[in-house]
Amino acid sequence: MLPVERVIGEEGLAAGPEGARLAMRLPWYRSLPFSTVEVGALAIDGRAIDLSGARIEYDGKSWPLAENGEQVNEFWFVRDSAFLVLPDVSIAPGESHQVALTVNVSPPYIPGMTRTNPQTATLVAA
Amino acid sequence: MTTASGPQVGVTLYSFTNEWLTRQFDLPSLMHEVARRGLGPNIEIIGFQNFKEFPDVSDDFAARFRDLVAETGLNPVSCAINSDRFLKPGQQPIDDASLVEYHKRQLRSAKKMGFSLVRYQFALPVELLPEIAPYAEELDIRMGVEVHAPMWAGHPAVQAYGEMYDKLNTPVLGWIPDFGGTASRIPESMLNAARAAGAAESLLDKLKEVWLEPGMSHEKAGRLREWALAEGHAPLHIQAASLAFFILSNNDPRSWAALVDRTIHIHGKFYGVGEDLVEEAIDYATILPLFRDGGFTGTIVSEWEGHAYDTRDAFLQVERHQAMCRKILAA
Repeated sequence: MLPVERVIGEEGLAAGPEGARLAMRLPWYRSLPFSTVEVGALAIDGRAIDLSGARIEYDGKSWPLAENGEQVNEFWFVRDSAFLVLPDVSIAPGESHQVALTVNVSPPYIPGMTRTNPQTATLVAA
Repeated sequence: MTTASGPQVGVTLYSFTNEWLTRQFDLPSLMHEVARRGLGPNIEIIGFQNFKEFPDVSDDFAARFRDLVAETGLNPVSCAINSDRFLKPGQQPIDDASLVEYHKRQLRSAKKMGFSLVRYQFALPVELLPEIAPYAEELDIRMGVEVHAPMWAGHPAVQAYGEMYDKLNTPVLGWIPDFGGTASRIPESMLNAARAAGAAESLLDKLKEVWLEPGMSHEKAGRLREWALAEGHAPLHIQAASLAFFILSNNDPRSWAALVDRTIHIHGKFYGVGEDLVEEAIDYATILPLFRDGGFTGTIVSEWEGHAYDTRDAFLQVERHQAMCRKILAA
């Protein structure tokens, strides 16, 4: 996998008081507004995860994933991870899980272009 | 060695996208590495790649960047800015006033950090230039629109910009050729990457055929996609193969002659330079003398884009590309 295709972040999966927390990387060469990025799908251990209650956490801020398309002024710095917080997913530290994440990007200066970036990895929850 | 009277060679940090994304370097360590290897001093930086505070860089961030420039001895020639019109995919673009302001914000940031020019994009509608050019004059910073594939000197959008340039008649506006628009072939390394991703030879043969046909990139990509899906090729293989449409076109390398006069900076796009100092896809021996003999004295920044499909050593590639450019310019 090329660095520019990576969507699962180095910080991996963690169990926390708010549920599971998954690190994501932006699969593009430059920073983009969050509104141009879409979490296409997430499955853990082969089970599709309902993302309706999920939140995005980035740089000390947080918003519902459902409102991510409105974040036109919030830029995802391409070297940083953003985090997907999943209140409905219960995991425990030390457990191993297979995570399949798809992130789509629609670069805001190339009308009509959307790239789909799937990645699957086995992660040990922190 | 280059001389002050001819074209200079330099590098865009975009060449090191793989090293950047994998966090092998932060901005200070990357600039020190570029300086240590002698790949500067002239550099280009994409604002939205290397500056976390872009598009609105604070005074403090700018001061730290200027210190870094002083420490490394690098010369921040060009800051690439973006014309992000489509902030909501599938919806209407942002309004013109917001787009103009978006450019001004980036111009201010680039100026504050000490860049002498910005790279901008054709996604900026040409009729908005009269609103932006006076601001660039006021800031005393030049703007070069990047003539990037599928654009080339004969493209209608380039001609429309040229007419507006004539009308505005200001020294702050110019061209930044990107040689990917005049590639002679699809680089073999790119085809090999698609093969490694699982693309079948029949798909790549069709790609090579459609790539040479006339038409817009997205139309050609659509044509390949339609054919390939009907033939049973996997969507991800088609996506890997379609990269060529968006970064490379096969217009005549000699066509750059028409743009030399207003060229203020150059993207020396390349995909792979071997030990023989020949680039895989772009005919530098034809292109560079046009600019040298036409009196271009700006910088050709080495822009290795193989990282879009390959993880070769970018530093070695840039060293070879610069050696190739110097050899051709000195001939």
